Amino acid sequence: MLPAIAPGDWLLVNPTVSRWPPPGSVVVFREPDTDELAIKRVAAGPGEEVRFREALLRLADDEAWLTADADAATAAAAGFGAPRDSRRFGPVPLDLLVGRAWFRYGPLRRIGRIR
Amino acid sequence: MSRLTDWLAPRTVVRAHCDLPCGIYDPEQARIEAESCYKIIEKMGANSDPAFTTRAIAIKEERAELTKHHLDVLWHDYFKPEHLDKVPNLHEMFWKATKQVSKVKASTDIADAKKLLDMIEEIAGAWRATGGAEKTRVVKQTA
Repeated sequence: MLPAIAPGDWLLVNPTVSRWPPPGSVVVFREPDTDELAIKRVAAGPGEEVRFREALLRLADDEAWLTADADAATAAAAGFGAPRDSRRFGPVPLDLLVGRAWFRYGPLRRIGRIR
Repeated sequence: MSRLTDWLAPRTVVRAHCDLPCGIYDPEQARIEAESCYKIIEKMGANSDPAFTTRAIAIKEERAELTKHHLDVLWHDYFKPEHLDKVPNLHEMFWKATKQVSKVKASTDIADAKKLLDMIEEIAGAWRATGGAEKTRVVKQTA
């Protein structure tokens, strides 16, 4: 999730959200395929369309499409494999949403609102 | 100060997962699954029992899907743009081979399965020509 989120960042997460925050928001959720806590950005929200080269997916009323900020090429350049996001595990239902990450309170040099 | 830091430090860790690339790639994985398709079609021709045919179709479709998966991993993860110098028709080769897998998935004609094996062999040639055998496999221990 570089540069928005870097390894070791301390984040404030609002756990009181009851619906998917707007596209562009950074969220903490449980990965559908592993149940592990993960962090990604909302690319599309409930009822919105996700466009592929030759297809279109309309999200259900409780689903969001979550993506990493880095694409496969950027992740590869940093020594990682392809990001694991909705392109891997598909739309994420609302009951897997844990909260919205909205503020970084550490380390000191990186304090600020998450954009 | 360290007590304050301890107090402020988050208790929960979240991850921004990426795949961990193991770096092992070999067209043999695709070939073994494609050989399964070949053999299943062969056995279907020699057995008309409906229960056997139903089971064979299900297994063939599953093996064909695995063949496609292994070809996709090779195409997307092993081959890099610089390999196009040595294998200019790389993309066409994979595009045709994955299309052929779809054909084998629905077909009971052994010629379709044989054509797929030939296409995978051509891909294996590209993998060898780009140094895949030396770069991506762990050397076997010899007694």
